[in-house]
Amino acid sequence: MNEYSHPETLVDVAWAKAHLDDPKVKFVEIDVDTSSYESGHIPGSVAFNWRTELQNQVSRDIISKEDFESLLGANGISNDTDVVLYGDNNNWFAAYGFWLFKLYGHEKVQLLNGGRIKWLNDNDAPLTKDTPKIKPVKYSVKSVHNEFRALLPEVMEASSKRDRNLVDVRSADEFAGKIIAPPNLPETAQRAGHIPGAKSIPWSMAVNSDGAFKSAEDLRKIYVQEKGIDPKKPAIAYCRIGERSSHTWFVLKYLLGIADVKNYDGSWTEYGNLIRVPIDNPSGGGGGTK
Amino acid sequence: MNQANRVFDSVFDMMPSEANPTPLVRINRLNPAAGFPLYAKLEWLNPFGSVKDRAAWAMLQQLEADGKVGNGHNVVEPTSGNTGISLAALASSRGYKLRAIVPGRIPREKKVLLKIAGADLEVLNDDVCPAPGLGEGSINRAKSHAKASPEEYVMPNQYENQANVQAHVATTGPEIWRQTEGNLTHFFSALGTCGTITGVGRFLKSKNPAIKVIGIAPTEGHDVPGLRNISQLHVSKLFDSSVVDDILEIDFELAYPRALDLARHEGLLAGPSSGLILEGASQIASREKNGLGVMIFPDSIFKYISSMVKHIKGLDAEGFGFFPTP
Repeated sequence: MNEYSHPETLVDVAWAKAHLDDPKVKFVEIDVDTSSYESGHIPGSVAFNWRTELQNQVSRDIISKEDFESLLGANGISNDTDVVLYGDNNNWFAAYGFWLFKLYGHEKVQLLNGGRIKWLNDNDAPLTKDTPKIKPVKYSVKSVHNEFRALLPEVMEASSKRDRNLVDVRSADEFAGKIIAPPNLPETAQRAGHIPGAKSIPWSMAVNSDGAFKSAEDLRKIYVQEKGIDPKKPAIAYCRIGERSSHTWFVLKYLLGIADVKNYDGSWTEYGNLIRVPIDNPSGGGGGTK
Repeated sequence: MNQANRVFDSVFDMMPSEANPTPLVRINRLNPAAGFPLYAKLEWLNPFGSVKDRAAWAMLQQLEADGKVGNGHNVVEPTSGNTGISLAALASSRGYKLRAIVPGRIPREKKVLLKIAGADLEVLNDDVCPAPGLGEGSINRAKSHAKASPEEYVMPNQYENQANVQAHVATTGPEIWRQTEGNLTHFFSALGTCGTITGVGRFLKSKNPAIKVIGIAPTEGHDVPGLRNISQLHVSKLFDSSVVDDILEIDFELAYPRALDLARHEGLLAGPSSGLILEGASQIASREKNGLGVMIFPDSIFKYISSMVKHIKGLDAEGFGFFPTP
């Protein structure tokens, strides 16, 4: 009970340093700020731009199976490659990438625990501005796992039936409806508040100050004992644009071992702009109605 | 050079010291307790306009002595503005350059001023989701450049460099001690890199352990550039709790109206962090009634016009805009 349910989904800096030249391993950087990679990255790594390469630019849907195949193949990633994802801000978008890789059935994918910041603060971990030479390969998606994704109808059912764990990973002020979006950020919804039935468990509760995930024991204490997550029930996580919730999706599924966990990637940018859906707004703030 | 007549051979000779201190000015109309005079140390009268001149000068002198800057080696540093302005102006005038990493949300005035002072700017995009820890993105970006291009960049790292603290042990602390003739009872400073509070605190406590050293922190969600709230303090490796007696958390919204009060009632055109510090010091003065306090006023209002307009209703009621209409 003191171990993560799937410890094989994480690698640490020491492992990564030892596998920098392993031809079977590919490091992929996915950052919130897409210019981070240019300032220095793990030698041999490639970067995915989450905005332009992982999302459909017109529909704000995830990229299609065909686009996923093209992206990976163009970056020299084959079906057998062990992909290690890492990024800034405690692996927020790296976790989103992990979710996408799993959705499209890639078997060997892991997160570098602690992400960019842990690598940066290790004195022996090298950083380079050189872009690697890439030999494109063929990549084919073998299976699609839509069971990892929650769409709006399922979210509304979860809200009305209250038979699942519905987890809002945004800040307490966003959950309470005091603000629609965090300070200084563009508001992307008409209404403030949260989906009725959701529990507020901000994503940052899952990580230590060095960016690495908390221990299994600490995670269980927070999510199960303190916040009341029922590990026997399915779970759906959401945030504002679906990436903080990917981080929590990873925690619930691979660290805490809840079998059925979905990421609602539409998140508040979808739900908070709908007409006539129920919303809980305890503070009455943010321009919404109670 | 004739320092007594304020004649200097170069701008570098103007840097502050016990013999050439920044002035202390008493707060008169805004002081809530007659028995507890409060003095403001006007750090914007340093050569480049802020308290950061001291740390910047000390850090660059150390890098120069170690042969780590010059000859194509430049400096990269995360900065909300003031340290960057000091570093940029000093570096430029000494033959090398500063690459300043700044968060997108700092006022336009500071970004332009950095370029005027000679910095190359790298502005971080922080408009997606809140990064954990204010400014940590800037720190990590600067570290990345220094680590990935060591032949090109060195990072003074104001957050971890002891030269930052030593600057205040060697100058600010002794200045205050001499200017108050050793009579101060309280020292007030905001918390940012914590070089000031740690350096001055160490010096003052070495002279008189009974002096109270009080840190002033803004509440969560603040937008006062350069300051850290209590939850962000872990980034400030220079913070030495053994020399800090108390930390007061002040509503950050008060920084701006209190800065306006300083301008209109004391004639001190001080920046918003000074307003926050005044609020904290006033609370202590009101409570304790007797004492003598010195507050660090880090910089002036001139770089914060946009912020003042944002936070003070009616200040730009006429809709002046940035450029006059023809």
